[in-house]
Amino acid sequence: MKVSLVWTSPNPERTIAVAMRRCYSTKPIEEIESELEQKGPEYWKYLLGKAMQDKSLDVLEHFTLTLLVEGAAESEAGDIARRFPYLRMTRLQGSDWLLSMNARTLVELWRDPRANSFASQVAGELERLGVCPVFNEVAFGERAHAS
Amino acid sequence: MRVKLLYHTDVEALRRVLSAKGVAFDPESMMDHVVYMFEIEDCSRVTTHQLVRHRAVSYDQESQRFSAATREGVVTPPSIKSNEAAFKAYDEALKSVYSAYEKMVAAGVPKEDARYILPSAIKTKLVMTLNARSLMHLVWQRTALQAQWEIRELATTLHGLAKEATPELWTKIIER
Repeated sequence: MKVSLVWTSPNPERTIAVAMRRCYSTKPIEEIESELEQKGPEYWKYLLGKAMQDKSLDVLEHFTLTLLVEGAAESEAGDIARRFPYLRMTRLQGSDWLLSMNARTLVELWRDPRANSFASQVAGELERLGVCPVFNEVAFGERAHAS
Repeated sequence: MRVKLLYHTDVEALRRVLSAKGVAFDPESMMDHVVYMFEIEDCSRVTTHQLVRHRAVSYDQESQRFSAATREGVVTPPSIKSNEAAFKAYDEALKSVYSAYEKMVAAGVPKEDARYILPSAIKTKLVMTLNARSLMHLVWQRTALQAQWEIRELATTLHGLAKEATPELWTKIIER
């Protein structure tokens, strides 16, 4: 099975930080965004780490991604779709699928032994493309770096 | 009320994959893969209570546990605003509620407990991420005439923003 990234939402770690700050701030979104921009990736990492520690994974749901999955048999793809209701799969042709999910679902897949190898492939692809280094580090620790 | 589209899926990126695979672009099946993130400011908690009934949507909303409520932050329905006697009653009740809230907070009651007295009219802010399929259902239901004025205004705005960003998915509203 081959997994490749089609699209991810822009600036994933900052988006997660925006969602977190929205819960605690009364300020307009533009001010939240410029504050986060000013504080930079170290602060986004701090917020993300706090969300993971507090098990407030809901904020990860605003980081979304679409993948092309090639060479996944019907049974293999069906297993993932059945077990994880929060992802969307569309068959393109034969054993090729378009799959969309958010980062919370990805973390849940990664933590589940039945889907860990698939999630590790996705994490590896994110790592390879460097789209969300902070997220990878916090969510997957050293395993993502190793893949 | 103010609504902002923070991001949406790049439909061209989906088209490129489909075209590489020799598959035609089908708006209906792509609705699962096109996602929008909105930020909504200053609608009432009446409306967000209706909004969060919609499924398969991710919400993060300003928490009354931690942020203090202010007297200025309420939505007044037109039917109350335009009726002098009703507005007087509304305004008096709000003043009394906020006065009690402020007294409780000053007396050391945590905001998360003092908020039990706050009205549904209170303005709120939230971010919301959902795919086109969920959004279309929301738009179909909440722009209908039976929907309440405030969520109808919100749904109409969401529809406008989504249609402008991704017109190919919004050529018609699929009713279900």
